[in-house]
Amino acid sequence: MTIASQRRTEAVDAWGRRLTLRFEIEGSGPPLLYLHPAGGMLWDAFLYRLAERFTIYAPILPGTDLADTMAIHQLDDIHELVLAYEGALRSLGIGDAPVIGQSFGGMLAAELAVTFPGLFSRVVLLAPLGLWDKSAPWDLDFMTTPPDALPGLLFKDPECEGAQSIFRPPDSPDQALDNTVRSIWALGCVAKFLWPVPDRGLSRRLHRLIDPTLIIWGQDDALIPVSYAQAYRQLIPHSRIEIIPDCGHIPQLEKIEITARFVDEFLK
Amino acid sequence: MRFTYLQHIPYRHFGSDFVDKGYEPVVSTPYFELAHPNLVHADLRDAIDELLYAARSGFDAVGLTEHGQSAFDMDPNPNLGAAAVAYAIAAENLDTGICLVGRSLGKSREPLRVAEELGWLDNLSEGRLMTGFSVGVPYDANINAGIPPIETRARHNENLALILEAWRAREPFAWNGKYSQYMKVNVWPRPFQAPHPPVSIAGTGDPKTTRLALEHDFGFNLVGPTLSQAQQHIFDGLWRMADQLGVDDNPFRVNVAQFVVVADTDAEAEKLYAKHIEYSATRGIGAIPAYRMSLPGSISPAELRTLLAGMPTADPPAPEMPSYADLVESGAIVAGSAATVRDILEDRARSYRVGHLMVQLQIGSMPTELVRYNIDLFTAKVIPALRSTWKEYEPHNRWWPIRLGGRPVSPIQSEPTGATVT
Repeated sequence: MTIASQRRTEAVDAWGRRLTLRFEIEGSGPPLLYLHPAGGMLWDAFLYRLAERFTIYAPILPGTDLADTMAIHQLDDIHELVLAYEGALRSLGIGDAPVIGQSFGGMLAAELAVTFPGLFSRVVLLAPLGLWDKSAPWDLDFMTTPPDALPGLLFKDPECEGAQSIFRPPDSPDQALDNTVRSIWALGCVAKFLWPVPDRGLSRRLHRLIDPTLIIWGQDDALIPVSYAQAYRQLIPHSRIEIIPDCGHIPQLEKIEITARFVDEFLK
Repeated sequence: MRFTYLQHIPYRHFGSDFVDKGYEPVVSTPYFELAHPNLVHADLRDAIDELLYAARSGFDAVGLTEHGQSAFDMDPNPNLGAAAVAYAIAAENLDTGICLVGRSLGKSREPLRVAEELGWLDNLSEGRLMTGFSVGVPYDANINAGIPPIETRARHNENLALILEAWRAREPFAWNGKYSQYMKVNVWPRPFQAPHPPVSIAGTGDPKTTRLALEHDFGFNLVGPTLSQAQQHIFDGLWRMADQLGVDDNPFRVNVAQFVVVADTDAEAEKLYAKHIEYSATRGIGAIPAYRMSLPGSISPAELRTLLAGMPTADPPAPEMPSYADLVESGAIVAGSAATVRDILEDRARSYRVGHLMVQLQIGSMPTELVRYNIDLFTAKVIPALRSTWKEYEPHNRWWPIRLGGRPVSPIQSEPTGATVT
């Protein structure tokens, strides 16, 4: 697939000028906020498809840009991260837009929405982190999973096109090294907001999420049990869930057609 | 040179099923399936006895270190064993120091308790204490203790600054830290030694740790990796950095841990120790999976890049079950007759430029009688031959308690370092 990318970036002073939040922006139409997962920002086919209808704003988690890896130390916890993001969204003037968050990005979207009710018009959570109960334990061991075992953890079918698209071999050893350093450090940055048990008390706050919310989960998510979809639905007043069969932790890559259809209908 | 007998407290009785079932000696080791309380008791008792035996045999110091949830070293807090040892050493009036190689401050949520316990030990031992601190290994600080990897080093630095201030402060003071807050800090007791015991920092080679030690004139304890080639690289970097920082090159600023086994002949050493060393390699410290020693966030991107770029990619993987011969050949274990051991250690002391040596003479499943035999030979036939190495630097050894011949610590040791980012 050839995509004529019009991507641009915008750097926004945030968090009392302690850091610069960089947004990658793509597409045309009304604004939509996309919050990336722990592995970092990746423009995939799902997002390009959305970009035909929306202008996607994708902030890059501070610290995960190799340009300023130490920026992560300006944020002590998830609450500071939420305040920093909200301030940046206000500067950009993109309030009242829909938000889509994948995995860690889903947790962040929920945290933003509970802290600032009404900040978003609609909320889409794709297999979000943030809830943990001993009846369905899961852990952060994926952060030390060897690269060759990762596709099997993230995808029901590691051979699917979506999986293949993100595990492409790098062009050169130097690029491979860059990629490794970037992805390990990105996990380290995200871990700051999750460690050691990925539960920062979000379940106590989710009643404040008043925006219409769609929760999408892969039936065969090997990272976070699919039972958390129900838990999210019960805690968020105006929410519904869609469970996608034969699908792992990343519905937007593994089942792009179905995921895109659910999201399209919800955002109409 | 000065010699410390360093004691790990391994569970010494795992069977071969440990390997067959793919267990690791840290974090997830099944307890009730593998351990028996009578044997745990024996292991703890033997370890304390061995420490005291080493002290009475003429070691300059005895040492312990900290590892939580670890079957290869059941030592969640080295102050526990040190308390028993400090009492006996003081009661017998031995000229033996007590070296705590690395209380992990990266994981400590109660830094004032650490300051107070160490003050207590220094008083009980009448000023024989040497206090080592460490950032902590990832499986312990981050998995066992639940500290986010990216915060470990900053927490260590803040805790270290607080402890040094708590020891020295003449009046109660308030501490408004990022990781802890106290309105009245006034630890009792303050240390016996003034202004405080010699401080060292334990590390495994991260240049950030080496730099911290050199900049503050702390001692530096290298506690791994155990391959001689890897250690040489670390010491070359350390002395180069010392030169760049304008710090003197006194070999006594460095202490290095080595596994050592001595017998009458090289062949006898293999016969006596091989199975215990192989136990350690497969059921002890050598069996810790690599991923337990590094977690995302624990090493900053610049250091990570250097580390990964320096890693050979084409080398064959290490054998899963290294033999005694492999371990001796690679330099991980110093083994043989007293003459062989002397030669290797002298060569390393010279090429690393280290004045302090911590020897681990109990390894893996070694029973206490064999440990005593190893201690006897080491103290009788190895120490005397190496004693005078680096003696010209002894008058400036400020990393050893004064009552045992050390010089006063540098004032810069006591200056708070504060919290810094990784």
